[in-house]
Amino acid sequence: MTDDEVIVLNETIHQSTRLRIMTMLVSQSEGDRVAYGFIQKTLGLTGGNLTTHLRKLEEAEYLVMVREELGDSRPHTWVEATAEGRRAYGEYLSNLQRVLGVVRG
Amino acid sequence: MRRSDGESAALTPEEGWEAIHETVDRVRSSMYVAGSATILLLWGAIVSVGLLAVYAIANRASESVVSSPWTYALLWGGLGIVGMASSAVIGHRASSEVAVGNTARDAGIRVFLFWVSIMAAAFLLPAAGGMWNADDGANIPRVTVGIVVLGYVLFGIMHRPAIAVVGLGIAAAFYIPSYLAGDAALLVIAGATMAVVGLGWWWIRRSGVL
Repeated sequence: MTDDEVIVLNETIHQSTRLRIMTMLVSQSEGDRVAYGFIQKTLGLTGGNLTTHLRKLEEAEYLVMVREELGDSRPHTWVEATAEGRRAYGEYLSNLQRVLGVVRG
Repeated sequence: MRRSDGESAALTPEEGWEAIHETVDRVRSSMYVAGSATILLLWGAIVSVGLLAVYAIANRASESVVSSPWTYALLWGGLGIVGMASSAVIGHRASSEVAVGNTARDAGIRVFLFWVSIMAAAFLLPAAGGMWNADDGANIPRVTVGIVVLGYVLFGIMHRPAIAVVGLGIAAAFYIPSYLAGDAALLVIAGATMAVVGLGWWWIRRSGVL
């Protein structure tokens, strides 16, 4: 990295809540889905706040939300990172490491 | 080098890096403890039932049954199998409401193997210590409960301190009456264990730590 090189962190991801959401989704194996309620509880968010950030990430095509009913007839919303979301997160992580000087080169 | 603008400006790169690591740890830990509160209650009930059965055997069964180590091996072995099977079902149901896929399944398998190891140790260590005989059979529950409590404490240290606290409560509920309550020890222990686990379950659910 040269001194005058400009590193831009993806502003859709580089936000406290959305970064945590994407980290949560990308830390799962490819194709895995995470429950909406699990995200909300684990990150300590209100439903409205979580939905706002999920929609923003969905608009960027970084994740998809799937609503379905389980055997107990209760509706569940599942969230899954898309291939584009994983790619964008990987690029963000790489850039973040470069900013922090973790990766030299 | 330039940072992004707008709402993300409040998050520094260092904070972002820290948030990533903290989130990964929290997610992994939350997956491991899925369903733990209910499983905790289940094992409290199993231990209580086992102790009540030991009390009933000691007071009602014939001398040959009371003195046979196989009586207690079958009792605790049977209860252990029921507990492990039930824990697997509860854990599977809980994890399927958390996430679907390889990561959640791997977490479930790890937790299951942890508790299988604890139960195996609870059975094998008394055997290795030569306790499966007529003289020492009645002392086996002391070792078994101690090892199960150790499982609570270790699991709690790794994932949720509340579980370790409940484990210590179970130890107190078992060992204090066993030395102080005389002939009624098993009845007191069964009641105290159920009370501790019930309170632990209520506290854990209410505080939302699981």
